Amino acid sequence: MHEMSVAMEVCRLAEERLSPAELPQLITVGLDVGDDSGLEPDNLLFCLEALLAAPPFRNARPDLTRCPGDVLRVTYLELDDDRPDD
Amino acid sequence: MTVRTIELREPVMARNNEIAETVRARLAAAGVPALNFVSSPGSGKTLLLERTLAALGDELRMAVVTGDVQTQNDADRLARHTTRLVQAVVTGGACHLDAKQVDTALEAIDLAATDLLFVENVGNLVCPASWDLGEDAKVVLFSVTEGEDKPLKYPKVFRQARYAVLTKTDLLPYVPFNVEQALGFAREVNPDLQFFRTSALTGEGLDEWFNFLRQLARRPASV
Ligand SMILES: Nc1nc2c(ncn2[C@@H]2O[C@H](COP(=O)(O)OP(=O)(O)OP(=O)(O)O)[C@@H](O)[C@H]2O)c(=O)[nH]1
Ligand SMILES: [Mg+2]
Repeated sequence: MHEMSVAMEVCRLAEERLSPAELPQLITVGLDVGDDSGLEPDNLLFCLEALLAAPPFRNARPDLTRCPGDVLRVTYLELDDDRPDD
Repeated sequence: MTVRTIELREPVMARNNEIAETVRARLAAAGVPALNFVSSPGSGKTLLLERTLAALGDELRMAVVTGDVQTQNDADRLARHTTRLVQAVVTGGACHLDAKQVDTALEAIDLAATDLLFVENVGNLVCPASWDLGEDAKVVLFSVTEGEDKPLKYPKVFRQARYAVLTKTDLLPYVPFNVEQALGFAREVNPDLQFFRTSALTGEGLDEWFNFLRQLARRPASV
């Protein structure tokens, strides 16, 4: 039920890591989600898709990897340096 | 297209956990033990706290931070039993309290003049388990009307808790509920749980609970 809170924290981490110019270039956010993390992966995906589609992002995609345990971490950020500014 | 990948291993809960540690340090420095009350909605967190404030108010200086998705009802109920500050946090939809909210609520509480801090979490047996609030221990409550199997269905929160309170024992004559089986399930999930059985209505079991709190306030380091 707290997937939205977690999705918002993921976006905050991405914003912290990237410069304002890089934010619209973000194309993928990689996440490890543990089976015992207390999160429902489909729900988390839904929340992340909604948040990453909106400014300051531009249609970035979440890439969830299920794993054992209660891990929950952002594993990578993928950027397209050539993405046009529209 | 030029794709660049930034490798990370960033725990998503890291920031909450950092804030929780600062809360914990602040409480420890002030010598204030803190209990985080978690349960499903309506298990009796607020009523047990009301009874506690009313009974121990002359002995112990207790502060409460209470979280609800909407309304300040619980804070209002609690404030009737104490002249001390009751801090209400309206989470506005969120199903749990987070460490930042507790940290902010503590700004208004004079910790130097506090013996015991209670945090009443949002009624929910799932989400609060993922948010460390900087408490010394979690107290999980479950009532006799909820069925014996709650510890098995929500193991994470029972595993994290140090204390479990079986509430509404006055209703035992009216509901099919096997106490020993329920406590057995809880022990299966967490063998170290310390149990209390209470009825906030008849007062059954409250003396033991109060004595526990008295001891806790006297020996903060031993929570
Ligand atoms: N019979 C009986 N009823 C109780 C007892 N404790 C609480 N109740 C009742 O159960 C209902 C819920 O109690 P609360 O104290 O509001 O429960 P809560 O856990 O704070 O609820 P939320 O904050 O909404 O999650 C109220 O109607 C209480 O009067 C008890 O020991 N016995
Ligand atoms: Mg309540």
